[in-house]
Amino acid sequence: MGTLREATIGFMALTVVLLSPRAATAQTAEKPGESKASDLPRLADGHPDLQGLWHNESGYQAALKNLRGGGGLAVALGDFHSAGVPLPFPYWSITKQIQQYREVHDPYHDPEAHCHVPGVPRETEQPSSLFPFQIIQDERYVVILYEYTHDVRIIPEDGSSHPKHYWAWDGDSRGHWEGDTLVVDVANFNGRTWLDMEANFVDENEHVVERYTMTGANTIAYSATVEDPTVFTKPWTMELELKRNPAKDQIVYYDCHEGERDVEHYPKSEGNTANPHE
Amino acid sequence: MIVATAVAIATSARAKTQSSYSPPRLSDGTPDFRGIWQARVPAYLNLEGHPAEAGVRASPSIVIDPADGWIPYLPDALKQRAKNYESRATTDPAINCFQAGVPRAIFLPTPFQIFQSAGRLAIVYTDNHSYRIVLASLIPHDDGIDFFMGDSRGHWEADTLVIDVTDLGDQTWLDAAGNYHSDQLHVVERYTLLGPNTMKYEATMTDPKVYARPWTVRLLLYRARRSRARIIEDECIDGPDGVWHHVSPIDPKAVLHHDYPAELAQQGNHP
Repeated sequence: MGTLREATIGFMALTVVLLSPRAATAQTAEKPGESKASDLPRLADGHPDLQGLWHNESGYQAALKNLRGGGGLAVALGDFHSAGVPLPFPYWSITKQIQQYREVHDPYHDPEAHCHVPGVPRETEQPSSLFPFQIIQDERYVVILYEYTHDVRIIPEDGSSHPKHYWAWDGDSRGHWEGDTLVVDVANFNGRTWLDMEANFVDENEHVVERYTMTGANTIAYSATVEDPTVFTKPWTMELELKRNPAKDQIVYYDCHEGERDVEHYPKSEGNTANPHE
Repeated sequence: MIVATAVAIATSARAKTQSSYSPPRLSDGTPDFRGIWQARVPAYLNLEGHPAEAGVRASPSIVIDPADGWIPYLPDALKQRAKNYESRATTDPAINCFQAGVPRAIFLPTPFQIFQSAGRLAIVYTDNHSYRIVLASLIPHDDGIDFFMGDSRGHWEADTLVIDVTDLGDQTWLDAAGNYHSDQLHVVERYTLLGPNTMKYEATMTDPKVYARPWTVRLLLYRARRSRARIIEDECIDGPDGVWHHVSPIDPKAVLHHDYPAELAQQGNHP
């Protein structure tokens, strides 16, 4: 009993250490990771200053875990997942469409393997710490410059609406602020992107609402709610924690030009004869 | 991350670069270059003066130094340029959808957008979703690593933005006519606002392996004034002819070269 109690106290002490110094010294109790709105860096227009170099701290698996725990969204899809783990994504069913993707569930077919931009929210999911992104912000725009495949998202905050007759790998992003949260509405996707390396997919009806909420000077709580009425039975949400890179870090420009020559490095699954280099 | 405001400004530099126009400024006092800009000259086809030919408008040279308008190639380099010109239909790096490099990206026939806030500046090009983050001159260049768009360091000389670009590699050309550089290329760019919607662009190229002496281009950049103007996504795919194509925004119902389910169906793997 005494051991358990000590362990509990030790855990509590560790929890306090993990909080930001500002939160740890606060007089009033705050939820871990939450900081007072007055503590956030801000631009002259009063909005939180999201500028700087950031990376996904959570990792994709953590995002999946968050998604699974997100209130009964899980829908079992049996062996669709390579590891036999039921996928949390609420696909309509194992339709002919999904069957097709089962057939092409091979890294060769990943659009990223062909140097395409990853789309949204996959770009934000890039492996933890590997590929940071730079945010520059003023009162009219937020622009996100991703190291991975020099992807760029320009997000106007002028109340404008999505264009017509426009389809893009990254869709079309329009931002607005809800309190201290930057909300980005993303539509106009071309339906060519995957959500991950497991062939989870969307089509051109994908619609994403991203929320960027600074929880401290060096952390952003990111969430993306994805809906696609022709692929999923209901919207689902993934959450990531974004962390600021050390001040000395900078983007090291990344490019992808191997194209068809690189895919030979990807593992070949049985039955895939689409690789022209086989 | 910081484009440092130059405290000490050489008098000669001020006299040389200052225009009579007093531009709007950011809160930190630096001139406001934000907006969507584009060149209107056909220099992307050939930055030297050239007569009209199939698909190419005649144009005067944008080379202002040397005064004769010709790039001062070393003799062997001039021969290489001639070879590049002859084979340009298949050897221009842009055909492979490589990023354009500097200064070629600036005078492509597609717009670019400058983003700027106190202490930060980035340039985003339509072509190939290329971008450059302009760091402060006091941060040393990333020597030893080459990038298609180089490594950019900026500072202010009066109201002129001066960007020093190195690490450009030798994988890009200067235009579609085979004008080229080596991995020794060093570019100094000068951006000066002349009015609300006009900017002067100058770039001086130094490359001891290819040029007999430094040389300079000058052109005007114009602001896209429509309120709805914006940079649209430009993504490349390899077409069925083996040639790369700029395809976005693409109709999602269009058939790409790699229609994976269809490919597999053709091969009898489809259920």
